[in-house]
Amino acid sequence: MTWPERHLRLSQAALYLAILAAWELLPRGGVIPRLFVPPLSEALGTLVADRREYLGSLPTTFGEILVSYVLVCGGGIAMGQLIGSSLTARRMLLPVLRSAYAVPLVVLYPVMMVWFGLGSESKIAFASIYAFIPTMLTAVAGVAALSPALGETARAFGATRAQQILYVSLPASLPSIVAALRLGGALVIVGVIVAQMLGAADGLGYLITRHRTLLNSPGVYAGIVLVLGITGMHEILLRRLERKVAAYRQS
Amino acid sequence: MTRALVAIQGVSQHFGVDGASVPALEDIDLEVPDGQFVSVVGPSGCGKSTLLSLVAGLRLPSRGAVRCDGELITAPMPRKVGMIFQEANLLPWLSAVDNVAFPLKLRRVPKRERLEAAARMLELTGLAGFEDRLPHQLSGGMKQRVAIARGLVQNPAVLLMDEPFASLDEQTRMVLGDELLRIWSETRKTVLFVTHSLHEAVYLADRVVVLSARPGRVVDDVLVDLPRPRSFAMTTGERFGVLKDRIWQHIKHAERR
Amino acid sequence: MRRHERVIVAAFVLGLFGLWEALARLGRLDASLAPAPSTILEALMRLLKRPEVLTSLGVTAWEAVAAFLIAVPVGLLIGFTLAEVPVLGALFRPLVNFLFGVPKSIFLPVFILMFGVSIPQKIAFGVFTTIFVLIVGGVASVQSVPRELVTVSRVYGADRWQIVREIYLPAMAPILLESARLGLVFNITAVLLCEIYGARDGIGYRIAAWGENLQMPQLYAALVIVAAAAVAVNEALRRLEARLGFWREQS
Repeated sequence: MTWPERHLRLSQAALYLAILAAWELLPRGGVIPRLFVPPLSEALGTLVADRREYLGSLPTTFGEILVSYVLVCGGGIAMGQLIGSSLTARRMLLPVLRSAYAVPLVVLYPVMMVWFGLGSESKIAFASIYAFIPTMLTAVAGVAALSPALGETARAFGATRAQQILYVSLPASLPSIVAALRLGGALVIVGVIVAQMLGAADGLGYLITRHRTLLNSPGVYAGIVLVLGITGMHEILLRRLERKVAAYRQS
Repeated sequence: MTRALVAIQGVSQHFGVDGASVPALEDIDLEVPDGQFVSVVGPSGCGKSTLLSLVAGLRLPSRGAVRCDGELITAPMPRKVGMIFQEANLLPWLSAVDNVAFPLKLRRVPKRERLEAAARMLELTGLAGFEDRLPHQLSGGMKQRVAIARGLVQNPAVLLMDEPFASLDEQTRMVLGDELLRIWSETRKTVLFVTHSLHEAVYLADRVVVLSARPGRVVDDVLVDLPRPRSFAMTTGERFGVLKDRIWQHIKHAERR
Repeated sequence: MRRHERVIVAAFVLGLFGLWEALARLGRLDASLAPAPSTILEALMRLLKRPEVLTSLGVTAWEAVAAFLIAVPVGLLIGFTLAEVPVLGALFRPLVNFLFGVPKSIFLPVFILMFGVSIPQKIAFGVFTTIFVLIVGGVASVQSVPRELVTVSRVYGADRWQIVREIYLPAMAPILLESARLGLVFNITAVLLCEIYGARDGIGYRIAAWGENLQMPQLYAALVIVAAAAVAVNEALRRLEARLGFWREQS
C-alpha cells in the first residue's frame, strides 16, 4: 500500500471510530436524548440480553425470506431469461415495466393483509411482488448485454430456442444472474421486514415495532442492528459468489 | 527580416511532486516566424504537448519566457492563439455551427454575427451543409474539421495542433492533411503541429523541430525544402526519405533507451 | 415500441380487464376480495368528489414535496462538495456507499421515536430516504463532466462562471434529472410507508384504514389513483430527462 493510500485508510478508520464514539458518548452525555438514540453499548447490550427473543423471531423471518427468495429469484430470473432473449419481447415489455417501477408498491401491503391475513403468506406475497420486477429487469439486462453472435452461433448449429437459453444464454449470463440474486435478495429481506413492521404477529419487523410502541429505544435499535447484520451478510456472501463466478468464467 | 511571431526563450518546465521534481522540458529556444508551418516531433514523453500548452497559456514555464507577437504569454490569449487537440473535444450538446461559434460566444459576440462567422469557417473546412449536425452524428474526421473551424473562427495568428489526426484512420488522415494545407495556404496562419508521425511531420511542414527524450531538448531543426503545394508523389521521392531518415535517427536512439 | 406492438400490448391489457370484469359479474370471483373493475371505477369517481379524500391526497403531496425540496439542494450540495474536494470525497466514499446500500425503511421506527407520529416526522423520513440518491447523483454528475472540455474552454478564454454555465450545467443536467426522478420515486414511497405505518391523515393512512375495514372498492380505487399519479410524475420527468440528454449517444 502506498503512503497516500495508507493515509486515506487511517483517516477513514478514524472517521468510523469517531462516529461510533459519538454514538456511544453523545447520548450518555445527554447531548442527544436517549429516547432518540440510545448509546451503542445499550443497544448491543439489549440484543445480547434479550437474545432469546430476537433469535426466536428469526425462524419465521428467515422462512418468509427464503420462500420469497425462491419465488422471486426463480421466477424473476426465469422470466428475465425468457424476455431478455427475445428482442421483440424486450421492446414490448421493457417500457411498461420501467414505468411500473415508479409505482410505490408499499401501498399493496394493505391489500395483501386483506387477502392473506396477518400470517406469513401476506409477507411472502408482498416481498415477492416488491422484489420481482427489479430482479427481472436485472436479469433481462444481463441477457440483453450478451453478444447476439452467441445466440446466432447456437442457432446456426440447429439449437431450438429452449436449448439456446439453457445451454448458451444461461451460462453466459451467470454473472448478471448472480447480480440479480443479490438485488432480489436484498429487496426480499427488506420487503419481509417492512411487511412485518406494518402488520404481523411474529418476526423481526414485528419485534421492532413492538419495542417502538413501548418506547423501548435500545430494543428498536437492537432489532435494526440485527437487520443490518442480516443484509450485510447477504451482501458479503453474494459478492463473494459474484467474484467466484467471474473468476470461473475467465478460466 | 520577419520578426518571430512565437518566441520561446530558454524555457524549462518541470512538474513538482512531493519535493522531487520531474523535468519535462529543458532549455528550449525556438523562434517561429509569421506564417511558418512547424512540426514538432520526438519520442513519447518528450514534452511536446507540454510545449504546446505553454504557448497556449495553459501553464506558466518554470523558467524562461514564451512570447507571442512580442507579448509575454501568461494566460490563454484566445484571440491570438487557437488550439486543436487529439480528440475533437466538441461540446456534445451543441450543433456543429454552435460548436464553432463557441469561442465567440465566450467573448459575448452577438448571436447573428457569431453564427455567420461560424458558418463561414465550416464552409472553409469543407463542412457546408452540416451546420446543424450534432457531434455524435459526425464521423471522426468531420469532428476534427469542426474543431479546426473552431480554432480558426477568431482569426488567430497562431494555430496550435496537438496530434490532431492521431485517432483517425490512415485515409482520413491523408485527406485531412491535404485539407489542412489548403486552409493554411489560404489563411497563412503560423502553425505549431505536434505529431508522432514522421511522415506527417515532413509532409505538412516548412520545418521540423525534433525533441529528445525526457527532459525534452531541441536536438535538431530540419528545414523541409520540398516545394509547395505538396503532393503524394513527393513522399516516395528521395528527398523525402532523406529528411525522414535524419529525423528517425534521433528518435530511434531515444526510443531504444 | 413499434406501433402494431403498442396495439398488441394495449389489447392484451384491455383483454385482461375484460376477463376480470366478466368473471366478477358472473360471480366467479369473491366480491369482497376482487370487485369488478367497473365497481372500482365507480368508487374512484366518488372518491375524487369527496373533500376529505382530496385533502388527504393534498397532505401526502405536501409531505412529499416538502421532503423533496429539502433533500434535493442539500443532497446535491453534499454531492458536489464530495466530488469537487477530492480529499473529502475519498474519505467519505465508503461511508456514503454503505449508507446508500442500507435499506432505509427499517429506520422508520427511529423517526417515530424522535418526532412522534407527525408531519415533521414524515418529512424527515422522506428526506432521509431521498438524500442519498441525490448525494450519489451529485457526485456522479460532476464526475461526468469531461475534463477536456474544461481545458478547451480555458484555451478559448472562458472565465469561471462561463465554464460553469456553458460546460458544467449542460453536461450535468441529464444525470441530475435522473437522480431527481429516482429520488422522487423513493420519496413518494417513503411518505406512503410512513402513512400506512402510522399516521393521522394522508392517502396512505386512508388506504390502510380502508384495508382494515375491508372497504375493497375504495382501497383499490385509491391504489389506482396513487399508482397513476406516481407513474405520471415519473414519465413527465423522464421525458424532460430525454430532452436534456438528447446529445448522449444511444447505445
